[in-house]
Amino acid sequence: MVKILISIGKIISQISRSLNLGNGSTWPGHIALKINKNFVRDALATSDQRLKTIIVAGTNGKTTTGKLIQAILEKSGNKVFQNEAGANLLNGIASSIMMHSKNGKITSDFAIFEVDENSLPLVLQQITPDYLVLLNLFRDQLDRYGEVNTIAVKWKKAIEQLNNQTILILNADDPQIAFLGKNNKNTKYFGLEDKSIAIKTPQYAADSTYCPNCHYKLTYKTIYFSHLGDWFCPNCSLARGPLAKISSYYPLSGVYNRYNTLAAVLVAKANNVNNETIQQSLKSFSPAFGRQEIIEINGKKVQIFLSKNPTSFNESLRTVKELNGKNLLLVLNDRIPDGRDVSWIWDVDFEEFIEKNINITVSGDRCYDIGLRIKYIEPLIHNTKYIIQENLGKAIKVALNKTPKNDVLYILPTYSAMLEVRKILTGRRIL
Amino acid sequence: MIHNTKYKLTIGWLYPELMSTYGDRGNIIALSKRCEWRGIKVEVKKLDVGFDHKLLAACHLLFMGGAQDRQQEIVSKDLKLKNKDLREMIEDGIPGLYICGAYQFLGKYYKEADETIIPGLDILDLYTENPGENHDRLIGNIVVSLGGVSIPPLRWKNTMVGFENHGGRTYLGKNIKPLGKVIKGFGNNEEDGTEGAIYKNSFGTYLHGPILPKNPHFADYIIKLALEKKYKKTIALSPLDDSLELQAHEVMIKKLK
Repeated sequence: MVKILISIGKIISQISRSLNLGNGSTWPGHIALKINKNFVRDALATSDQRLKTIIVAGTNGKTTTGKLIQAILEKSGNKVFQNEAGANLLNGIASSIMMHSKNGKITSDFAIFEVDENSLPLVLQQITPDYLVLLNLFRDQLDRYGEVNTIAVKWKKAIEQLNNQTILILNADDPQIAFLGKNNKNTKYFGLEDKSIAIKTPQYAADSTYCPNCHYKLTYKTIYFSHLGDWFCPNCSLARGPLAKISSYYPLSGVYNRYNTLAAVLVAKANNVNNETIQQSLKSFSPAFGRQEIIEINGKKVQIFLSKNPTSFNESLRTVKELNGKNLLLVLNDRIPDGRDVSWIWDVDFEEFIEKNINITVSGDRCYDIGLRIKYIEPLIHNTKYIIQENLGKAIKVALNKTPKNDVLYILPTYSAMLEVRKILTGRRIL
Repeated sequence: MIHNTKYKLTIGWLYPELMSTYGDRGNIIALSKRCEWRGIKVEVKKLDVGFDHKLLAACHLLFMGGAQDRQQEIVSKDLKLKNKDLREMIEDGIPGLYICGAYQFLGKYYKEADETIIPGLDILDLYTENPGENHDRLIGNIVVSLGGVSIPPLRWKNTMVGFENHGGRTYLGKNIKPLGKVIKGFGNNEEDGTEGAIYKNSFGTYLHGPILPKNPHFADYIIKLALEKKYKKTIALSPLDDSLELQAHEVMIKKLK
């Protein structure tokens, strides 16, 4: 049955590609799950014994972390496959299994699946992963995902159902994520230990600053961003757990990418990859599409920082500021992958990150909303001119024209806007 | 831009740490900037859990946003201790904007999906019920007409645009008027076509998060009420260049038609 479904899936995927209906990263899986709702479980059961599965979930950083893990494991000689970025519901996972099967069987050493926050409990009913990497939980698309606490509760229940085969790789700096490892002996924690990159005052968009155990307000010895840091509860004395001792080269800018890197390194170490191989693969790492990806256009450099919720937007702005960026294009869409509600732009700390004399162009479906947000930064950016251009193609042109030669244009788009930006810049379509 | 004038307002921001889930800060930014641009001095007092209830009396305008369930639980305990002060201010006509969870708090009760009844502050004549988990949350863009309701005609628009996202359905009693009529969206309860509530100078609404930046006429109306209440005279606000605000507003109305 699994074999037949996989053959059908491959044919569907080919048809879908040749008719230009997208690249077939969800359709085949969707159909397979309609015929057999346990397709994923069954397909994994018939795979080679050596196959190990790694699930990566969290609001921000899934794609980058998955790609980092893949790069390291491949460098150490493993055959690895991963579901396509963004195709992170059960149907995307099913599709990737179909695409990477030969004669109805998976022959890889590792399968890495990035999983959508809401889908994680469902996916964990189908897959008992060898490693479950949980990165963070931030407010994101309230209209689709609901509240952060609700997701954390669902995750806790789903994790309690797992047997002790699964090793949890958890972010110790995110209180709600760290709490998921309480009473679980198979837990390894990653976190930051570098006061030089800490921030002094809590950010406005911080979510989980209350104890996940007793709901008392947490105290932070160090805050890295949002609610991530070295925390403890003065009431029930729950605290950040002991961190795995790892140090690493960081291939990507931004504090958020340090977490992604540490998570990947921890997974690699748990699989006995030696440190030299890890560091080598990190040094030759190239980012996933839209995640600090650099594109050259007409002799100018464009770097895309996917910015999809307050924390990811804040950290993009902070990183661009650290890179001394002077030319910004902000693109705000309100399609289903972005979330229909754009209220969150008022939670972004533009006031803190936008300095004087910066070129700002804004575009996207909701360009007037983001334009208005910029207007209200005043008087901080008094004298800073911003241009609102509804048409994205024209906006990119305008922003590039304003960017001096040898300077970088930093584009901060929401998810669907990022795909559009890439399509315009590379002439290629993704997803 | 900022001039020294004789006018000054103190805005009391109730529970900024906990009742700020989705862009609620936009309202404080809009109120503050629109005052500053006119030379009206503004002080924003952040009133977080455990604040001294006497601080309320120094405020000329109140704002409170929405929250997640756990946060709402914590706030409701603290708010009970301030019930008397808040009630006196609302009855006295101190202008206030209460969004989503804050709006529900001011009513008689909130009935949760599992039928547990959480008593409200019982300041406004309204109640809220969550019809249960088989019913969808009311989520989406919303357009409201203020026309023919109890606000006098505003400067350039009688519509409001925003986004709503709530499980509870609110029903108004006899002693309270709706803020407006729903043109597109759900509003108070998806049945009677009303949205929000007005009682004296207090406004409750489901248009969550940053309602004021894209509805500057409403922002100005609240500022004007606060100034007039404080200085006990009619005050005309100097006009601002609202072309971008108007465009953001109009684009949404067109998009939703």
